[in-house]
Amino acid sequence: MMWSEKYRPQDVSEMIGNEEARAILLEWFAKWKKGTKPILLVGPPGIGKTTIANLACRRFNYDMISLNASDVRSKSRISEILNPVLGNISVLGSPMIFVDEVDGIHGRADFGGAEALIKILKEPTVPIILAANSDASPKMKSIKKTVKTIKFRPMPPRLLRVYLRHILYKENTKLSPGSEIKVIDESRGDIRSMINLAQSLVTGFNPQTDKSFESLNVEVGINAFFKAKTIDEAQTILYSMQIDPREKISAFYSSIITSNLSKKDMAYMMQVLSEADLLYGKILRTQQWRLLRYLDGILIKLYREEMSIRYNQYNLSWPILNRLRWDGKTLKQLFTILGNQMHVSRSTFGTLYFPFILQCIKNKKLSLSLEENFSEILEKEMERL
Amino acid sequence: MSWIKLKMKFPGNCLVCNEKINAGESGLWQKGTGVKHEKCSEPAELKCILCGGPAGCATCEFQDDCDLETVSQLCICKSCMEKKDIFSLYQKSAKKKFPLLNLRP
Repeated sequence: MMWSEKYRPQDVSEMIGNEEARAILLEWFAKWKKGTKPILLVGPPGIGKTTIANLACRRFNYDMISLNASDVRSKSRISEILNPVLGNISVLGSPMIFVDEVDGIHGRADFGGAEALIKILKEPTVPIILAANSDASPKMKSIKKTVKTIKFRPMPPRLLRVYLRHILYKENTKLSPGSEIKVIDESRGDIRSMINLAQSLVTGFNPQTDKSFESLNVEVGINAFFKAKTIDEAQTILYSMQIDPREKISAFYSSIITSNLSKKDMAYMMQVLSEADLLYGKILRTQQWRLLRYLDGILIKLYREEMSIRYNQYNLSWPILNRLRWDGKTLKQLFTILGNQMHVSRSTFGTLYFPFILQCIKNKKLSLSLEENFSEILEKEMERL
Repeated sequence: MSWIKLKMKFPGNCLVCNEKINAGESGLWQKGTGVKHEKCSEPAELKCILCGGPAGCATCEFQDDCDLETVSQLCICKSCMEKKDIFSLYQKSAKKKFPLLNLRP
């Protein structure tokens, strides 16, 4: 189980840092009455904005209705979700609304979503909390006018160290002092990232050396993943590959597609990659970046013991790549010449006509008078038929 | 360009703490940048939540990686750090210093 989930605070008092901000939020909850200005929690990712909203809501016995920027894109969608809540026809006892990543609403792409949200914010009938990574963008201006802002700051590193040691103690494990400092430095005030990194080191395949803090490059990562002896080891390698998710999926794809797998295995792996690709597509479309944590959970399904897959940056096999690289230019010239003769485009000739022409030449039903280098390539292509 | 100490003619928001600086108060101004309180321009030092003293930022092992102006302002000093079960002590201290954290319906 992920430590970041296992040690997720169960009460506001179990959190660290931002003591004043936490206290202000609790006071707001305690004093809340109809018409009280909503709250906007602003701060970088991984410092507990969503957590405190959840915990405070639980402490004050509210039922949280959680939305994110993708739910508030259009006016109709907002009405659909929130009208039952705001109109007091909800079956819920005492609802409250939490809109996460509100800075992800894009002005142009939205269909009256931002305006509809602001209208609700102006006359709140239930407690409303918004969360954003930053309030600096112009699109946040109108929202900021209708809310009370509470800033959440990154943790001071030494306070992170206290929390890290607390978790390590509970896990009955230790990190060397140097490793502790480096884990904290790497996390840059982000608690979640610190916990994940510590877990990957403690349960990881890497000894705690300076090298374990270098994110694995894609080639080393993919090779180590398929060479891993256990699934835990493979998982740690996945976590250590701190590269762009698209690059990660593509690297797995090109390595798998060019390897010699049985049809069944290949189909399975493509299915897994397709799942990962769908998830990443959804993240990009909806800007729900917190879903990214599930990407490695999907990719780990690619692991099987003793798989002979090695990293390949090209997503085509060598024979095809060679053909493209060395023969491609000559073939293009040939397609242009013959395409002109047959009054079709180069690509139409290459795709539709060329295979038949080759067949005719092979069956000696047709002969073309071409330059020598073209004859050579025609012979090569006929061999492939 | 350096910061100029002046008496505020117009109200503004401090660039560091984001609190209001009223007209008539003294503050520091820089052309094209904005205004800030005098106290906000002093080298910052975090406070220890346990003993209430300075956290000793100048000698902290994380000095290079801690942006004093942006981080949460309560930390733990070196001597308090050596106490046993520091996390529980931190929690107790936070509850004591911020009684609102104990607020219940």
